[in-house]
Amino acid sequence: MVIVKRKELSFWERLYLPEVVRGLSVTMRAIFRRKITRQYPEEPLATNEVTRGQPRLAVNEDDTIRCVSCGLCEIACPAYAITIDGQETDRFIEREPERFDIDMLRCILCGFCEEACPKDAIFMSEELELADFSREALVYDIEKLKRPISALQRRSDYVYKLNDRWHSSSSTS
Amino acid sequence: MPVEAVTLADTTTKELPLLVLWLFKAGLIYGGLLGTAALMTLAERKVSAWIQYRIGPNRVGPWGLLQPLADGVKFIFKEEVVPDGANPLMFRLAPILSAVPAMLAIAVIPFAGEVKIGDWSFGTLSIANLDISVLYVGALTGLSVYGVILGGWSSNSKYSLLGGLRASAQMISYELTLLLAVLSVVLMNGSLDLRAIAADQASTGMWNAIVQPVAFVLFVIAMFAETNRHPFDFAECEPELVGGFHTEYSSMKFALFFLGEYCAMVVMACLATTFFLGGGALPFIAELAWYVELPVFCAKASSFLFLFLWVRWTLPRFRYDQLMTLGWQVMLPLALVNLFVTGAVVALGWHPLLMPLLAIAVLVPFALLFGRPRPRSESLTHEGAAG
Amino acid sequence: MAQLLFYLLSAAAIAFGFGVVASKSPMKSVLSLLATFVALAMIYLLSGFQFLAAAQLLVYAGAILVLFLFVIMLLNMSDLETLAEHPTVSLGHTRVAIATVSAGVLGLIAILGAGAVQASESAAMPPDGYDKIEWIAALLFSRYMVPFQASAILLLATMIGVLVLAKRRRPVQTTELGRVDA
Repeated sequence: MVIVKRKELSFWERLYLPEVVRGLSVTMRAIFRRKITRQYPEEPLATNEVTRGQPRLAVNEDDTIRCVSCGLCEIACPAYAITIDGQETDRFIEREPERFDIDMLRCILCGFCEEACPKDAIFMSEELELADFSREALVYDIEKLKRPISALQRRSDYVYKLNDRWHSSSSTS
Repeated sequence: MPVEAVTLADTTTKELPLLVLWLFKAGLIYGGLLGTAALMTLAERKVSAWIQYRIGPNRVGPWGLLQPLADGVKFIFKEEVVPDGANPLMFRLAPILSAVPAMLAIAVIPFAGEVKIGDWSFGTLSIANLDISVLYVGALTGLSVYGVILGGWSSNSKYSLLGGLRASAQMISYELTLLLAVLSVVLMNGSLDLRAIAADQASTGMWNAIVQPVAFVLFVIAMFAETNRHPFDFAECEPELVGGFHTEYSSMKFALFFLGEYCAMVVMACLATTFFLGGGALPFIAELAWYVELPVFCAKASSFLFLFLWVRWTLPRFRYDQLMTLGWQVMLPLALVNLFVTGAVVALGWHPLLMPLLAIAVLVPFALLFGRPRPRSESLTHEGAAG
Repeated sequence: MAQLLFYLLSAAAIAFGFGVVASKSPMKSVLSLLATFVALAMIYLLSGFQFLAAAQLLVYAGAILVLFLFVIMLLNMSDLETLAEHPTVSLGHTRVAIATVSAGVLGLIAILGAGAVQASESAAMPPDGYDKIEWIAALLFSRYMVPFQASAILLLATMIGVLVLAKRRRPVQTTELGRVDA
């Protein structure tokens, strides 16, 4: 059993009212403190390369998509959010996705697809906002997912850096 | 006639027909009351936000000023739900019974003295000039319990019933203290008429907040309890009772409850101003025109309204037994002693400024005797050992 | 206008008064009583007795009736059926009791009314009407001092009696959580 020793109150504390006034002064000071509210749509959250936003597909400068529809991301995806159908192309890299859907309602933004991708074709972008009026509209198809590599460069560099570190540490051990 | 006629002015001044005058005043004052109540909902959220380092609603209109309007529209368009097994008549009656007494009480509050514009005289700036307005206000505060108790009972919900019971027990307990505190003011100023009480304080320059400090503090505390505001919000008490007596209410019925609560706050603030801060009077200035008195009155009442919000975020809610102990064992005896001392001072014709001194002389031994916390830990140990 | 209002209010008072005894649910009875009190207060106002009206609302409607409501809600007698099913209170006894009490009260009212008429005839009408609070106070504390104090003592006795009945000592149980009154 725990015996709680209550603090013996002083005379002023026993009067109660002076303590109320003291409390009021605390809250009054709080009123004039700097406000910490962020006015969200006008002041969006600052993002950087560590931000793990929604996955996007990288498109090269020559307008070709990097993805070769190998399906590794589809397998890595723990939420089964990715659906890929591949097709052949005439280019040197002879495969590309015919269909690449990510169900953004299932996506948990874990970044496994980005990690699994052998072709640096999918990156967690800095795009965070996700809202629409229907579930169907939130299943993003390939056209909605395509981003020029310049828009994803920061994240791409960061992922390279991460991978380098992993490779070096695994080689030393 | 229930309502005394407006005081007759000089023969040279012109007057409106009585009925027109009343209608005009009623429209003006009730518009002001409802407008203030609506603004209070915004102020509540704004002040809450400021105390929590936030900004508060600022999307609807400049500084969020149109927020009450948006809230009202939302309430109107919400679905009205009458719970299964609720008593339909009383369920609908309760919000009305809660809002109406609160609004009626504003009728006797003298916002300013005689209004004169040019040759025209409009009488005092209050709807009804009742000789016994203090009793009228007391009667209406007594009636305001019914809305809460009926709302709680008729909802057919345990939370509501408990909330209603708690609230009514609390309101009855603190009404005694409230009225006893007012009674000492009545003794001091020698009238049951709010106008006379305000005028007396204005003429002597000694506001009751100074000569009746005990009554003032008691009134302010009881005021919080009567309006079910923090730290006495046992009726609502979100963590314990969901929403208390209005758990089952939705849409405009819920809005009516809230309107009643905010109107009661406005009325109480006005009453406190009249009883203890001399109405629209300024210190050291004897006679004021009505257009000075009205803003002064509003400023004083607003400071009380701000106090309501300010205290809400300062003090935690009492426990129920603490509430009852405070009400019956501390505040009621204090109020009685204060009433007795006041009566003695008035009867013996002593200077009223002796009152605060006497009050302190009484208060200090009282606090020393009864202010000691009960040795709770020891008793718990004892009980545990016995069991 | 005043005449019409008086008849309307009187009719309401009587109708609601009938509702007090006629309605099956105690809750409705109490609310009818509230309506009766309000109607009576308005009749007082109409006759120029502001003080009486305020006192009526303050004391009866504001304080006493709320206690009624409390008792009824706490006893949870939602309607007469439960009252009838209650083993200790039989409906027949209740009716007899109600009838006896009503007869007694009526007799008391008759006696008091006769006395009051005599008193009002003998009491001089004050110059500025009956409604002056000073006049009421002076009468209460001089001429009717004894009945006034007697009623106060009666109320006090009732209060103590209720407390004695309600706070009857019960064996105190102790649990791990502390004291629990059985």
